[in-house]
Parts: sequence; structure tokens; C-alpha cells
Amino acid sequence: MIKNYFKIAFRNIRKNKLYAFINIFGLAIGLASCLLIGLYINNELSYDKFNSNASRIVRITMEYKMSDEVNNIATTGTKVGPEFNRTFPEVEDYVRTYISSSNVKYGNKLFNEDRILFADPSFFKIFTFNLIEGNFATVLDAPNKIVLTQSMAKKYFGNESPINKTITVIGKEMTVSGVCEDTPKNAQLKFDFVTQFLNLGNGVKVEEWYTANWITYLLLNEGANVSNLEKKINKYMNSDAIRKQTRAEGTNYLNYHLEPLLDVHLKSDLAGFEPNGSITYVYIFIIIALLILLIASANYTNLATAQSTQRSGEIGMRKVMGASKSQVFIQFISESTVVTCIATVLALLLSVGVIPYFNQMTGQTFERFELIQPMPLLLLGIFCVLVSFLAGLYPALVLSGAQVIGILKKGFSSTGKHSLLRKSLIVGQFAISVFLIIYTLIILQQMDFIKNKNLGYDKDHVVVLPIGGDMLNNFQLIKDAMQNVNGVTSVTAAYETPEFVQWGDGLTVTDEKGKHDISLKAMPVELDFTKTLGMTMAAGRDFVQSDFSLMDTLNNWSNYKQPYIINETLARQIGWTPEESIGRLIENRALGPVVGVVKDFNFSSLHEPIGPLLMFLSRNFSRTYMVRINSNDIQGTLSRLETVWNDRTAGRPFNYHFLDEDYNALYKAEQRSSLLFSVAAMLAIILACLGLFGLAAFTTVQRTKEIGIRKTLGATLTHIVLLISKNFLMLVSISIVIAAPIALFAAQNWLQNFTYKIEPRMWVFITAAAVTLLITLVTVGFHSLKAGMSNPVKSLRTE
Amino acid sequence: MLLELKNIYKWVNSGSRRIFLLKDINLEVKEGEFMSIMGPSGSGKSTLLNVIGMLDHFNEGTYNFLNEPVHELKEKHRANLYKEYIGFVFQAYHLIDELTVYENIETPLLYKNVKSSERKALVADMLDRFNIVGKKDLFPQQLSGGQQQLVGIARALISKPKLILADEPTGNLNSKQSEEIMELFKDLNNEGVTIIQATHSEMNASYGSRTIHLLDGMRNRTN
Repeated sequence: MIKNYFKIAFRNIRKNKLYAFINIFGLAIGLASCLLIGLYINNELSYDKFNSNASRIVRITMEYKMSDEVNNIATTGTKVGPEFNRTFPEVEDYVRTYISSSNVKYGNKLFNEDRILFADPSFFKIFTFNLIEGNFATVLDAPNKIVLTQSMAKKYFGNESPINKTITVIGKEMTVSGVCEDTPKNAQLKFDFVTQFLNLGNGVKVEEWYTANWITYLLLNEGANVSNLEKKINKYMNSDAIRKQTRAEGTNYLNYHLEPLLDVHLKSDLAGFEPNGSITYVYIFIIIALLILLIASANYTNLATAQSTQRSGEIGMRKVMGASKSQVFIQFISESTVVTCIATVLALLLSVGVIPYFNQMTGQTFERFELIQPMPLLLLGIFCVLVSFLAGLYPALVLSGAQVIGILKKGFSSTGKHSLLRKSLIVGQFAISVFLIIYTLIILQQMDFIKNKNLGYDKDHVVVLPIGGDMLNNFQLIKDAMQNVNGVTSVTAAYETPEFVQWGDGLTVTDEKGKHDISLKAMPVELDFTKTLGMTMAAGRDFVQSDFSLMDTLNNWSNYKQPYIINETLARQIGWTPEESIGRLIENRALGPVVGVVKDFNFSSLHEPIGPLLMFLSRNFSRTYMVRINSNDIQGTLSRLETVWNDRTAGRPFNYHFLDEDYNALYKAEQRSSLLFSVAAMLAIILACLGLFGLAAFTTVQRTKEIGIRKTLGATLTHIVLLISKNFLMLVSISIVIAAPIALFAAQNWLQNFTYKIEPRMWVFITAAAVTLLITLVTVGFHSLKAGMSNPVKSLRTE
Repeated sequence: MLLELKNIYKWVNSGSRRIFLLKDINLEVKEGEFMSIMGPSGSGKSTLLNVIGMLDHFNEGTYNFLNEPVHELKEKHRANLYKEYIGFVFQAYHLIDELTVYENIETPLLYKNVKSSERKALVADMLDRFNIVGKKDLFPQQLSGGQQQLVGIARALISKPKLILADEPTGNLNSKQSEEIMELFKDLNNEGVTIIQATHSEMNASYGSRTIHLLDGMRNRTN
């Protein structure tokens, strides 16, 4: 019996190749989207779960109020871990961590490594990173010990055993004490080397509440209650003794929050070692996959009900021959099952094929084999069954419920209520497509705005080079050498690049209005900073060589003055005009005069407004050179720079990148979602149009006789095309009307995240509507043209 | 008594007017009869056949089939009844295009849940009897009209019905093919199968043992 059903299904697929293609192709795309997105979500949801202590690990974040401003950061001071471990019995252990870059040298192999983890010796006890060699209790028990991951062991030692070999890291000789497995991609802590936390220098040997640069994790006792412990901790932090210790006066305070390890990646607002995922994106991904699948399923339902006229004779006969309603129902469900199963196989192949592009889109690193695992295959299987029913249910119900005599006599009526369902499905499909198109256009517009916004500085053609090791000793020499390279316009240095300033600091100003405490961002910069980055001064001047003489360290620093440049916002916040600011004394690291006011520039992402910023002259804090070069012959300039670099830096790798890359990296998440939405919008409209194409083909066949009669009565080609297209265009117009406001609402919601944003313009909607209508017209027009141009005698003779 | 129709009325409403398709039909058919229904187009021949075959409803009157009151039966029960006892043959054959000759004949058995081995034997017998073994793997479009109707009859016979209802079975065939089909019916009738056919042709009607005439949905007793 079942065999017979499947046979019929296959023969129908062969007979109606166009419909079969539309259905199989569409469902394959829908299922592939679901599979890939399922893979992505599975990865997001599995973050850090591999830790056997996962449920007992918490990350400590810090909340403090100072000068009327509340700050939340994921990093904490060195004291937090040890102090809590001593004070609260619920805490079993702690680990403080930091990731930094350094040159790593073994024999003649020298690389710059970005993922060197500094962690307390308890690290391997708390987290589950399996050691292939070495004992977890002892691998980090001495400051000169270092653990490598497998791939690093391979990179530096090839097939030799690395154990007990000596490598040079952060300028120190270290002995390899262990090798651990590479960190999985669903770990928030990803590293290549691990060494002791105390190797970070003398600064971390003292226990401090502030100077919070470290991420601290606690291992709690079995059964410890996180929120109770958090309450206890904050009660402790607000006790008089501790408040005194933390210098928290008045309404100021210092509190800590505990985030369960498994919540950090998806639910925390505070990024740690890597940008967090977002549960919102997980939801958006799920919705998009389901929408695409829904469009494909709607195609199936539509085409199947449209075909019912053709199938009615068959069904009628089956019933006359004794088929029961349920037998006919099962037959049609098996047809959708066959189609879906073929689509499923195709979806799997498709997913395997597009994995690299999917990785690009999501910033993940999935491998092909990850698809051929029980979980994804099971997911695909479930979806296959679901879609078989979802898509096949309605046609099966309608066709199996038909009355025999009606079918035999006059054929199956395809008008009436089925056509209402079909129309609703078309409207639904196109509403989804139009929604995605408009939403995508607005996102793309905002991305374009971000790319071209006048930031207050010129981010293009600036080469960024890291300063490391003992390069500071030759700072001026290297700077001068680069300055003289042909094609270089200007060179400066700073602690960090200006697109995203992270250095938080404070400022004290005493003027006629009293004493202001202002918390702000600060930037240690070298000479020529504003000039190199193309910033404009609102008043005063850039730092000059003679400013260094203010910073007099003789006589026990008694004459030391620190020169400052402030931004307009800071001046305004203090209550000065730019001109008034010049020469005023302010105090950050030391008392000093304001020598210049720089016009406001965006030193944070466009999600946030421009805040107060303080720049102070310093050479010793410099960590990056920034080199402005001419836009012509960039390659030539770069290779000349490299030669100079190699000459002057004793073989440090010439690891350059451009400032605008840093800037673009700030919007990676947005860039990804814009890409995702573009692809989704494209798939949606393609699938919806395919369905429409099939339906139009069908309608035209159905109306062949009518068209023939109309033509003999004198209808022109235009009449015919209009006759066929009219209804479809109407439906698509309805979907535009429905989708546009929803898309506007959603897009505006998304734009809320930006302080600097576009206003969605009318042309977006007009473009979306015009494009959709045009595509519809082309899709439907093909068939109506064919019908309109056929010889009416032929179509009438078929009777 | 195989079946008995008493005062059967069937009508449709067109606007405020009521149009009668069948009007006061009384009819008895005994087992083993070969009856022909004649009448011009639109006289209600097909409607009467459909009512007898339980594919169509009627509005008034009583219908007993093998002593079962059809007018009182539920849809499902009625379907079981015609599945069991009635085979249909149509003017347009109504073979399923997607199925081969073999599969077309086999389908009624599938719906009766007959076992595979038994199905094979029954279909093979039928193919043999109708001399279409060589055509069993062809699709309906590959056959001539007469051959298609043969398959249609074979399909109607496969479930061993007591009654065959044939609605202008030769309407689409030429005279030679018609003659063959009618001879076949006669043979079947001789084997004990009751046959009711609707036809335009006096010639075809002459194969039967009895003829009734319809005009405007009524039995026309004048001739």
C-alpha cells in the first residue's frame, strides 16, 4: 500500500517537473537554513558547558559609583579573588585571568602571539581544559612554568616533546610544564599559552580593589546559592571597614555581581575576553530560519491545492474503487513526505557546501563534519517530518474530503475557499519578503552612514603598528625614521587608537564655581596626535616639543606640570568655552594647564554619545604608532616602512593594520546582521517568487480556454497580460501595505541602539515596493505573455 | 431481489425553481438481470446509475440493496456496501493516468487490504482472461480506447462484484470495439453478474434482458 503511495508520488514529481523543482528547491533552502542556524544556536547555547564545574563557576563583575556616575565593568582588581576566598566559606577557590600578547621565541622560531593567558595556579583545577601532558595541580605552581596548547606545541616543537624545554615569552625564559587540548570554540576563554598570573609584573603582586584589569572567576562550593552569596558580598563591601579601605565616601560605593559562567556568553551585557553573543540574536536567527521554511512550505501548500483540479479525477476514481478518506489522506501526506525527504537530502548537501559562507556570515568556525553528527541529523529529521505534515496537511485534508460524485461530474472546484487560503498564503509570503527587504535596506543605510560619518578625525590611510618590548627606548629613533619614509605624511603614538578609547579616568577641576570631580575617558598621546589623525582644534594648540619641559621630574617632581588637551564636551561640562579653557589648570595625574581644546570626535562607538575626553602628553604610555600615509602608492610606502621597521626594531614582526579596520571591527555584529538580513531577504523573495511563478503557470493553463475566447473576441496582448497579472499584483500590493509599517517599527527599534543614526526615508519604502512589484510582474508576466501570444484556435480546439 | 427503488425523487434548486432530475422512479432489479436504461441526453440516465451506485444522494423515496435500506445508511456504511458489491465502468474509462494497467487493476484490492500474494494471483487471472498480459506495464495513454475500456472493466471486476454499473461504456468507442465490449458483458452476465447499463444505442440495449426508458427524469411507459 505504502509502496503504491510512494510510487504515485514519484510519478507525480516526474510528471510535474516545474512544481517538483519549486517545492524541492524551496524546501531544501528552508531546511538548510534551519540546519545551519540550528548548528549556530547549538554552539551559542553550549558555551562553556564543557567545564565539568560549569554550574559552580561564577564571573565577578564590578559596579562602582564615583562622581555621580555608575559604572559596570567585567574586570576586577587583584584583591577581589583572594579576599572573597578568605572571607566567604562558599568560595572554594578563585582564579584571576588576563590575556595579552607577546613575542614567543624558541630556537630560531619567533612569532607574535595574541593569546597568552595569565592565570592563577588554580586555573586548571577550576576550568576543564584537558591536559595531555602534565598534572593539573602542578603545571602552574612556579612562575617560570608555561602550558601550551596542542597546536602551539606543534607550531614551535613539531614532533619533539615540548615538556621541560625552554621558550622565551614576555622576555622571560620559561619551561614548558604541560600541553593541553586546543580551546574549544564554545569557550569564553580562548588561549594558546598559559602562565602564572603573577608574571604580569610587580603591579599585580599587591592586592588592590581598583586598578581593575583582570577577570576573576570563583569556584563555589557544591550547593552554594549565588544570589545569597552576592548579597553577602555586597553587605560586606558596604561595611564601614571595607568602605574605608575602598575610599567610598558619601553616596559612592563599590559592589560586585556574580554571573553564573553559563550565563556570561548569552546573557551578560559586559564583554570579557571576547564580545558576548546575544540571546536576542539567537532569537532573530531562529525566527529568520523559520520564516524561510514557512515560505517554502506555503509554496508547497499553494501548488498542491492549485493542482487539485488536475488530481480530482484520480481521487474520485480512487474513492469509487473503495478508497476511504483516510487512505486518500495518507496518500497525499506520503507525497509531501517524499518531496520533503528529497529536499532534506538536498538540504544536507547544500549546508555542507555553503558552510564556509555561513562561517563568514556568523563569524564562526564550523567544520563540515559537524553537520554529519547525530544532533544536527536528528534536528533535520524532525524538521523533515514537521514540514511533511505542515505543507501536506491542508491539501491532503481538502482532497481527501471531497465528494466523489462532485469530482466525477464537474471536476474539482479550485475557486472559492481554497483560493482564499492561497491568496492569504501569497500575501503572507510577500509580506515576509517585503518586511525583510525594507528592514535590510534600513540596516544597510545605517551601515553606510557609519562608514561615511564624519567622525571628527580621518580614519583612512592610517597605519597602526604595535609598540612592544624595549622599543620605547628607541622611540624617537623609530619615529624619526618612519617620518622620513617617502609617502609618510605624519607619525604619532598613543596608548590606544582613537576609535574606541577604553582608558577610564577621573579629573579634578577647581575654579570660581568650586570643585568639580568628573569621570571621563583619558588618552595618553605623543606629539602630533591631532595633526596625524586630522582632528581640528576648537581653541589653543596641539602638544609641542617644549611641553615636555613642563614635565620636570627633577627636584623630586616638585615642579612637575602635566599639559592637557581636552575635548569640547569636557570644556562644556566644566562650564568653560573653548577659548576660556586655554591656560586653565586642571588636575588628573598632576596639576597642569590646558593647552588646547579639540573639536569633539567619536572616540567610542556610534551607539553612544560623545563623552568628556582628556588627552595628556606622554611618551611612556605609548603602545601603538599611528602613521598617516599618502593615498597613492600605498603598497610602496608600506614596503619602505617595513624595511625601516626591520632595521630599527631588531626583527620585531611588521604587524601592521589600518585604523579603519579597527573602526569597522567595532561594528562587526551589525555588519554580520546586515549580511544575514540581506541573505534572508534575498532567499525569501526568491522563494516567494518561485511559488508565484508556479501558481501563475498553473492559472494560465487553467484559463487557456478563457484566454482563447477573449482573444477571438478581440482582446490584445496587453489585456491578457493585465488580466493574469492583475490579481497577483493586487495581492503583492496588500502585502507591501501590511509589511511596510511593521518593518519601519522593527527598524526604528534597531536604530534605537545608536546615538548617531539615520532617519528612514521614504525612498526606502518606494524602492522596496517598486522592486517587489517589478519582480512580481516579471514572474507572472512570463506566463501571461506566453498565454497571450498563443494561437486561440489551438486552445479552443482542445475541448 | 438485488435492489429495489421506490418513489425516488431527486432535484436541485435553481433560484426559486425546483428542477427534478429524477421523478418518482420505481424499479426492481433481480440478481442475474442485464438491464439497459435508455433515453435522450439529460433524461437522467447517469443520475439514476449514480443513485443506484450510491455515489449520489436522492431527496425522497426508499432504496433497498440486498435488503439493506440505503436511504437510512450512514455515508461510511454505504461506501462499504458499494465497495463490496458494485463495480463501475465509465464512458471516459477514468483510469488513473499515473498508474500502469497492472496497478490500475490492482488498486481496488489495495483498498480492501488484500494480501500481496493473493493480489498478484487475482490480477494475473484478470489480465489473462482479458488477454492483456502483454500490456500490463503500459500506462493508459499508451492504449487504444477499446483497450482502456477493457482495463476499466477488468478493474471493475477484480473485487468480484454482484452488480456492474456501466455508464455508456461504449460511448467513446468505434462499432467493432463496442461489439467486443458488449459481448464481454453478455458473457459476464451469463456467469451470473448483474449488469445495469445506460446507453443511447438500441443495438447495445438489445444485448440486455430488459430495457427501461427515461424522459426528463421519469420512466417513460409509452414505449
